[in-house]
Amino acid sequence: MFRYLLKRVMWMIPMLIGISLISFFIMHLAPGDITSTEAAFDPKSSEESRQKLRELYHLDKPVIVQYGLWLERMAHLDFGHSFASHQKPVFWAETDKEGNHTNGMIQEALPVTLLMNVLGLVITLSLAIPLGVLAARRSHQWQDRAITLFNFIGFSIPGFWLSLLVMYWLGVLHPWFPISGLHSLSYDQLDAWGKFKDLCMHLFMPVLIPAVTGLASVTLFVKNGMLDVLGQDYVMTARAKGLSEHLVVYRHALRNALLPLITLIGLSIPGLIGGSVIAETIFAIPGMGKLFYEAVMMRDFPVVMGILTIGSALTLVGNLVADVAYAWADPRLRKGIMPT
Amino acid sequence: MPLSSACWSHLADGVRCLSARTPNTWMLLLYLLVTACSQPPETASPALHQTYPPQPGGTMISAMPSDPSSLISMVAGESASSAISAHIFNALLQYDQNLDLTGELAERWEVSADKKTISFHLKPGLKWADGHALTSADVLFTWQLVTNETTHSPYASDYQLVTQAEAPDAHTFIVHYAQAFSPALNSWAGLQILPKHLLQGQDVHTTAFAQKPVGSHYYQLKEWRHGEYLKLVKNPHAALGEPNIDWLIERIIPDPAAQFLELMADNIDSMNMDPITYARIIPSRPALQARLNQYKELGNSYTYLGFNLKHKPFDDMRVRKAINLAIDKQEIIDGVYLGLGVPIASPYKPGTRWSNPALTPYPYDPQQAKALLAEAGYRDTDGDGYVDRNGQKLSFEVLTNHGNKEREKTVVIIQRRLKEVGIDIRVRSIEWASLITRFIKTGDFDAVVMGWGLGLDPDQYNIWHSSQQKPGQFNFIGYHNAEVDRLLEQGRVEFDQEKRMHLYHALAEKLYNDSPIVYLSAGYGLTAIHKRIQGIMQPVPPAGVGYDSQKWYIPSPLRRTEMQAN
Repeated sequence: MFRYLLKRVMWMIPMLIGISLISFFIMHLAPGDITSTEAAFDPKSSEESRQKLRELYHLDKPVIVQYGLWLERMAHLDFGHSFASHQKPVFWAETDKEGNHTNGMIQEALPVTLLMNVLGLVITLSLAIPLGVLAARRSHQWQDRAITLFNFIGFSIPGFWLSLLVMYWLGVLHPWFPISGLHSLSYDQLDAWGKFKDLCMHLFMPVLIPAVTGLASVTLFVKNGMLDVLGQDYVMTARAKGLSEHLVVYRHALRNALLPLITLIGLSIPGLIGGSVIAETIFAIPGMGKLFYEAVMMRDFPVVMGILTIGSALTLVGNLVADVAYAWADPRLRKGIMPT
Repeated sequence: MPLSSACWSHLADGVRCLSARTPNTWMLLLYLLVTACSQPPETASPALHQTYPPQPGGTMISAMPSDPSSLISMVAGESASSAISAHIFNALLQYDQNLDLTGELAERWEVSADKKTISFHLKPGLKWADGHALTSADVLFTWQLVTNETTHSPYASDYQLVTQAEAPDAHTFIVHYAQAFSPALNSWAGLQILPKHLLQGQDVHTTAFAQKPVGSHYYQLKEWRHGEYLKLVKNPHAALGEPNIDWLIERIIPDPAAQFLELMADNIDSMNMDPITYARIIPSRPALQARLNQYKELGNSYTYLGFNLKHKPFDDMRVRKAINLAIDKQEIIDGVYLGLGVPIASPYKPGTRWSNPALTPYPYDPQQAKALLAEAGYRDTDGDGYVDRNGQKLSFEVLTNHGNKEREKTVVIIQRRLKEVGIDIRVRSIEWASLITRFIKTGDFDAVVMGWGLGLDPDQYNIWHSSQQKPGQFNFIGYHNAEVDRLLEQGRVEFDQEKRMHLYHALAEKLYNDSPIVYLSAGYGLTAIHKRIQGIMQPVPPAGVGYDSQKWYIPSPLRRTEMQAN
């Protein structure tokens, strides 16, 4: 087991280098750099100053040299500094000699996105599993059709449109929830319970809306898995034994039906750190999606590379976790992938 | 990603129009759900229309689309940054309500007889917000900082022309130029003075000062939650006296639809908006309109159709004029900007002294356009509806930056009008960075629809002078006119406002006759401000709505009760 894990982890290093090399080149294929943004097109600014900036950030050097410099820094886990945002550190916080503390950009954006996505995933799963089971048990009956219709609608609605409607409904018509932002302006004056409540109120819409509209695929996944299993011989055996329908469905069938879900969750781990640009922009939440989108638009290469690197590392870790968890949950696989 | 204005503009009408178009059961349900809810409590209290005497206190909340990167504007360079730092830092000079230069930190200034030396005399008793004295040493330090080799300021070039700067005593700051340079005064209105005692020995690009600045202007940064909001509080040592409003809060809300919802819910007091919101959505909601004041002001910017003068047929003035005459500018203003813009005849803001009142915008005259094309040798010989010369159809490509809906619509209108006089244009919209690096910089384009945002000084040397054509410089259309070059050079050494004005009027006339670009429109900047903010200058002065905002006040009966900034 340990050797297998070690081998998988060691393999991740060359893969990460390969991914970063490809990302770096693709990023540089897009024309322009930090000096060709719309703000830089100001007749008061001079071409000499733009050239100086390109030299400062080594943008005048060949891409392969720039990649070498980046890789050298990454070897010390130094994600570098942003070009566009006052040279803020990309990932880790830094303290200068006067003791001033500057938070890293990813460090600031990641917790929000992670919190939103984990909450969203929990909500999605806790709704999708019962719905999927119900749809499978009542296959071709009205419950199944209603769930399918609901999923179909949720899948087809543009998220931003639904968000705006709900914002109008629950924020303007009935001002029950804050419309946008993550903290109230009076957040610092609140006590711990008030802060918690404030955060919950702000997260309600941005978490719930994507979670509900994202239900469709998971529900379908659970339903299909369940339908497969319900047709198996051992389920018939269980029924023949005279077990209650509840025991048959929830103890015998569901456990097997949920196995493919492990893969699905494993694969969604990298997704947890990638925020949705549209949701974050509409709800004015400073998360990873907005950070990445703005970095791409500003050609802020260190930030783009930082996020891509973390994303690809997590994708690899997610695959590994999914495989290991699957093996743990399914003895058939455990025997198959781990020869003594 | 900003949503297209067309998408969300309909939101304000509820889901009505959408459900009408798509009779879908679900949408109908949602429609019932939304409309069944009663209208929001938008009853404008009658007290809003009452005028109160000025009084200090209160909190004003505004929205802006993006977070500043740094509050040291000499290195930040983006509008979000200067919007905030303008509340915190002073310059030596400023523009008054009629856009004439006047002192800010400087009490007065003198230009020497040879025009090469400017002496500034600071007001007495100036202080930084932390109580330290603000002296000419700070001004000298700021100049040294902006011109320093290691400071990468995009705006350094004006200050690099200073050959020697000195601070002979605490109140005097003297700069020497190798030759007279009249835009210098404007440049000293643009340089925000930074405190030497806090910044000396620091790297201006990484210093923590950029996140917690100490300035001398009306407000001080109190709290900055990155990507969410900035809170500014009144500075007790403010160089120009105390403002009325205690707190300014800027919330970062990137999406204009979300901003508008916040405005409707009365969570923000002011926002900038697009023409649809200003002219259609707000007027369609009387309750909302009743508690807002709407302002429009001309900005220092315009959109234009620019030709690559090095390409045929744009080297022929008759072709350029024909295109100019064939485009109906009013139609673009009405169609794209809902009438919230004006046609212009010179590259200056209409109504200011620099704009030549003798010039009238090119009229829409397709007959004359056709005549000019014929004169240039373009006739429709093969009967395909397009004019040609030597068997070559008059056809070219117009580029614009992708995602700018106004410009994209403008190009389509132009396409149609030019087709009517027999000119075929192809429209291509390209992402900004690609447009600049692949097409503008390399000179590989026929024509572009773009815009210029200009400062308050009339000098436009960088845009029109023939020496400014190298890759990356701003005369990328390749304009060359010896007479214009001479006028631009003279304008840069002339300090007399009256004489300078005549030079720039002459410049505008030359440009008018040459028609190297087609001025399309100057759009209004549009703002809505809640009526609880009183004391806003009416009518809006040439310097804009925000001019004199230190005199704005919020009468205590109209303040938000549930929300206090501190």
